[in-house]
Amino acid sequence: MTLLTPILIVPAVAGLLCLVLRSRRAMELANVFAFGITLALSLRLLAAVLAPPYAVTESSEFFRADALSAWMVLLISVVSLGSSLYAGRYFRRDLAAGAVTAGRVKEFFVLTPIFTAGMFLVVLANNLGVMWFALEATALSSVLLVALYNRKTSLEAAWKYVILGSLGLALALFGTVFTYAAAVDRQSATLPSFNWSHLMLVAGQLDPRMIKLAFVFVLVGYGTKAGLAPMHTWLPDAHSEAPSPTSAMLSGVSLKVTLYALLRFHILTTACLGTPFSRTLLLVFGLGSMFLAAPFILVQTNLKRLLAYSSLEHVGLICVGIGLNSPITIFGALLHMGYHALTKPVLFFAAGNIHQTCHTLQMRLIGLGVAKVLPLTAVCMGLAAASATGLPPFGLFFSELTVLSGGFAAGHILVSTLVLAALLASFCGILYQLTRILPGTPKIARNANAAALDSVPAMGLMLGALVVFSVWLPTPLLEVMERARDIIGGVQ
Amino acid sequence: MNPLQSELASQWITLLAAGMLVIQLLMVVQRMLLTNIRLFALQSLMLTAIAAIVAYFHNAAHVYWVAGLTLLGKVFFLPWLLNRQVRRIQIHQEIEPLFNSTASMLLCGGLTLLGYIVARPFTSLERLGNNTLGTAITLLLTGFFLMFNRRKAITQVLALLTVENGVMLAAVALSTYGMPLVVELGIFFDLMVAVMVLGLLVYRIRETFASMDVDKLSQLKG
Repeated sequence: MTLLTPILIVPAVAGLLCLVLRSRRAMELANVFAFGITLALSLRLLAAVLAPPYAVTESSEFFRADALSAWMVLLISVVSLGSSLYAGRYFRRDLAAGAVTAGRVKEFFVLTPIFTAGMFLVVLANNLGVMWFALEATALSSVLLVALYNRKTSLEAAWKYVILGSLGLALALFGTVFTYAAAVDRQSATLPSFNWSHLMLVAGQLDPRMIKLAFVFVLVGYGTKAGLAPMHTWLPDAHSEAPSPTSAMLSGVSLKVTLYALLRFHILTTACLGTPFSRTLLLVFGLGSMFLAAPFILVQTNLKRLLAYSSLEHVGLICVGIGLNSPITIFGALLHMGYHALTKPVLFFAAGNIHQTCHTLQMRLIGLGVAKVLPLTAVCMGLAAASATGLPPFGLFFSELTVLSGGFAAGHILVSTLVLAALLASFCGILYQLTRILPGTPKIARNANAAALDSVPAMGLMLGALVVFSVWLPTPLLEVMERARDIIGGVQ
Repeated sequence: MNPLQSELASQWITLLAAGMLVIQLLMVVQRMLLTNIRLFALQSLMLTAIAAIVAYFHNAAHVYWVAGLTLLGKVFFLPWLLNRQVRRIQIHQEIEPLFNSTASMLLCGGLTLLGYIVARPFTSLERLGNNTLGTAITLLLTGFFLMFNRRKAITQVLALLTVENGVMLAAVALSTYGMPLVVELGIFFDLMVAVMVLGLLVYRIRETFASMDVDKLSQLKG
């Protein structure tokens, strides 16, 4: 039975369906249903990749999913479902307040499933060229979402995002072409396969100099799109100016999907060279991102930019975990991807509620006492923030601990200490910033009923999953992550 | 294919690639927006010719597709689209670059040198033409320069398109037949959509800011 094609088709069809639908309610439902179906399919995929031969291929290997892809598919489905649950009520309030037009809301419901379908294609494509154009497609569909409000600032953010993103992707395309060139057989005149699985088989025969050059291009290129410092400058703008459901998807999964593309090249490069070349680069860029994010978190004045910088820090940690390249740290990085995907959307949903109630994201203007005005939002935000800063009993505490202990155990004392320092800095930063808005008594009278209990299903789903999976990881999930860890670590 | 033919094809490709580079440098010094769009069309025409030569001499049918798509998309459609946009929003014709022509030319000369140095270790891997990889990397670098030297939104789109031309040149030069057709098609489709999305954004920016100057896009900091 085919599994991969439906995962791609369902959201794409939902997007096209929303083009012809008139009622907003129907569009919301189409989105929620589509992502519900893909979530169910992704669970089946999870089971499928755990049985030999441990990879699912379709359309003569054009689509291929191994444990790493299956893990990403699951994360994309969960975050998309959460965002679509939140989006309906969010836009209803926006429409009531006159912040958007009905046409723009329709644009959201059409583009979001297409954005998701693009992300699915990135992780399910076997061909590295197809992976590239799928990533470009995600960038193009999300840039219109960033510009949705048509404010001066959101247009600026969208412009930066699309120009820097396209430049980065052009560099990545150069790298992709170089990788392909490395595989061209000097003697034969036939076109070689551009499939990742095929390239892995012949990794030993690829031209090592070409592969090195290709990886540098791909790292800078996809690194730009994944928001690695110092190419991250578009990230806080785009993530803070987008509507909150889109911010959640950009921060929650889109960054990781780009990172996934980078990882495929990292695995290939390591298999070809057999040296720590690519993982050292990942480590350096990861640490750089963590250290760059920390001061910006400490001095941030805008709530959503604060969350965006926190995402930058988490992406940095994931890169560090993979760069350290011990089985424990890679496992920690994969775990971190999952928990972060459950945590960050909740924070953005809460920020969206606060934005709609206070009509500003400047923390100085929001002022003290959000907990009095929006008690449920504040509780959810507090819990998610505790998770994002790495406090127990939430999962990010365990994943950070896993990366750190793995790092120390493997003898990378300096790197691990630096990671610890960066984590502590951002911990203090986020905690300090949120104490400026959550507790206390409000100085300004706010009208709270705008966002009463509406967002409970979305936030409850994500937080509930976070709490459950923090204390209990089902065996299939654990096995998938172990398999994914072996794929990244190069264990055959 | 006999060696003589192969040599002929290789020389044509070298010549056309050099032509693409010359046009790129002309774009660096040319200040009129509409002329810039025409220069881009001419550069794409040379890329089309390269693809056609490869297809003809190597009997590679799918490269004809690439040539045809480049001709339709980059030589006719995109320049027409950009032209229409320029007329529709009636922008000031002249580009106001950060560096003057002389300084830009000198800088791009330096970038060309850099491009050739980067490509030097890989010249043995080129299968078609001489130094085509160097030319491709130079197109990338000068494209980046164009992007930051020009402060109008639409000229940044043009710069991006020349970078894209560079990638396509590299693909042809390094792997003989370009990439598999499905990838080429995907890239082509993405490019068309990208220019339309960028055009839409330019239009909205123009409406909101009453300007196309990207220096005005500077509210978001920190």
